[in-house]
Amino acid sequence: MRWLRIVRSELRKLTTTKMPWAFLGVIVLLAAVTGAAVIWGTDMDGSKGFIATAADQQSLMAFAGNAMMGAALFGAVAVAREFGHGTVVPTFLASPRRARTVTAQVVAVLLAGALLSVIGAVLIVSSVALALQFTEYGFLVPAGGVLRVIVASSLTGAAGGALGAGVGALIRNVGGAVTVVVGLLFISPPMLIQLVPEMTDWVPSTLAWSISGVLAEPGVLAAIAAVAVWALVPVLAGIMATLRRDVV
Amino acid sequence: MFPLVVTQLSKSYGSHQVVHDLTFTAGPGRVTGFLGPNGAGKSTTMKILLDLAAADHGTTRIGDRRYRDLPDHARTVGVVLEPDAFHPGRSGRNHLRVLADISGFSLRRIDEVLELVGLTDAAHRRVGAYSLGMRQRLCLAAALLGDPPVLVLDEPGNGLDPQGIHDLRAVLRERAAQGHTIFVSSHLLAEVELLADDLVVVDKGRLVTTGALADLKQAAVTVRSPRAEELAVRLTAAGGTVETASAAGTLTVRGLTTDLIGDLALNAGIALHELASGAGSLEEMFLRWTGDEPAEGASRRSRLIPTAAATRKEAVRS
Repeated sequence: MRWLRIVRSELRKLTTTKMPWAFLGVIVLLAAVTGAAVIWGTDMDGSKGFIATAADQQSLMAFAGNAMMGAALFGAVAVAREFGHGTVVPTFLASPRRARTVTAQVVAVLLAGALLSVIGAVLIVSSVALALQFTEYGFLVPAGGVLRVIVASSLTGAAGGALGAGVGALIRNVGGAVTVVVGLLFISPPMLIQLVPEMTDWVPSTLAWSISGVLAEPGVLAAIAAVAVWALVPVLAGIMATLRRDVV
Repeated sequence: MFPLVVTQLSKSYGSHQVVHDLTFTAGPGRVTGFLGPNGAGKSTTMKILLDLAAADHGTTRIGDRRYRDLPDHARTVGVVLEPDAFHPGRSGRNHLRVLADISGFSLRRIDEVLELVGLTDAAHRRVGAYSLGMRQRLCLAAALLGDPPVLVLDEPGNGLDPQGIHDLRAVLRERAAQGHTIFVSSHLLAEVELLADDLVVVDKGRLVTTGALADLKQAAVTVRSPRAEELAVRLTAAGGTVETASAAGTLTVRGLTTDLIGDLALNAGIALHELASGAGSLEEMFLRWTGDEPAEGASRRSRLIPTAAATRKEAVRS
């Protein structure tokens, strides 16, 4: 199974540099900040209403939106830097079927994005649970809710990783790829909603809330399908660009 | 056996044509030097040969297949293209492991090639701390991972110390002797002169000459005479191509044998102070081929050098 060997090679690329550790560091920091917010943070009225109910706590722990953005940045940097450093050359020499190779790259980044996102979700949940010990509120989210938060993070993290990988293959420059990812996931959704209010349910942040069980609309399956579309479009564009362009 | 066959290859970037109707073959069991000035189209030709870039026109074949159609790329073709194609934070050994994963090479094979290129002790260091020569050795290790019968090497001697160049030459000569196809681009002309069996010379994307290095070197005769101008007229009339060297009274003659030149001079009563076969060093030949002014004592004329085959044909005709 040559394709699986390429995926393995791409995973080794990801695990033999410091980049995953840098992202893990950011996740740990995010979890610590969330924990601190639980302990010392208050609503505008000075109350701790934001952790008062199970729904509030699940909303606080819903990491899926951040997971999608973080994994997308991870994927964009991972793939674009391949072109920057030229390490994509030996890969394409060993595996010149470019569509197959880019697909393997996308899958490797997708897996890494999912894993990082699961770790992120677990750390956030743990941090919130630990921090609640120092408040008057207990941990109210049922096991099903916690599981949903973690699964949602893994799904959006996977989609984000794929989206970023597609953008990286398309742009081939780390700065440019990061800019496009931020534009796609952070800047364009509010603009899109301004232009077409009906799109509110279909931007990544809303979809992530829905998959995490925080919002009812759109439905989970529809939200998962929409997140997949957000990821697939850049992936297909990246593959097409790689097929059409010279590698170097 | 895997000859490299390039046929009528053309490639442009925008309006700039970098390869123009290029045709040549690099045979198995030979080391073929691929020479040309900067920007002559060497690297582009190699990239097209290796499917990293698309040709506008023409074909490249390794054996009888396109690169992408080869059954097992890393076990068929070893490549050194860019000495900086590494992530600086990854160790040399991990770089090879990434490649080994794709093609299914063992860890033992990685150790073998690291030993072969003398990088065993530095294998666990990150590549960013390597010198240019060490990165070049790592490139060579990657190329040799699959013990391939074809090597395509772009400036493999860059940054290597004298011992490294000596070792590289030994490895390439040994593999050519085993019937492997070795295709080497290099600016180190003295090194190519020691290493190459055949030459392919390009300039501005066009083929300038190709053939066996020995034939190319023997394809010219150096003649020195106090009546050089008169002799040049007679040699030209006899079918030779005559270049006037900057050294007074010295001619470089192509298309005529030493015997014929000696006889012509004798019949004309022209004294010869020197009559020797050979076109000078590879550097002198290269500078003539590519149109740059050679060093003192070398020829003034340029771009009149026919391909080796044409020269041989001319010699037979005369």
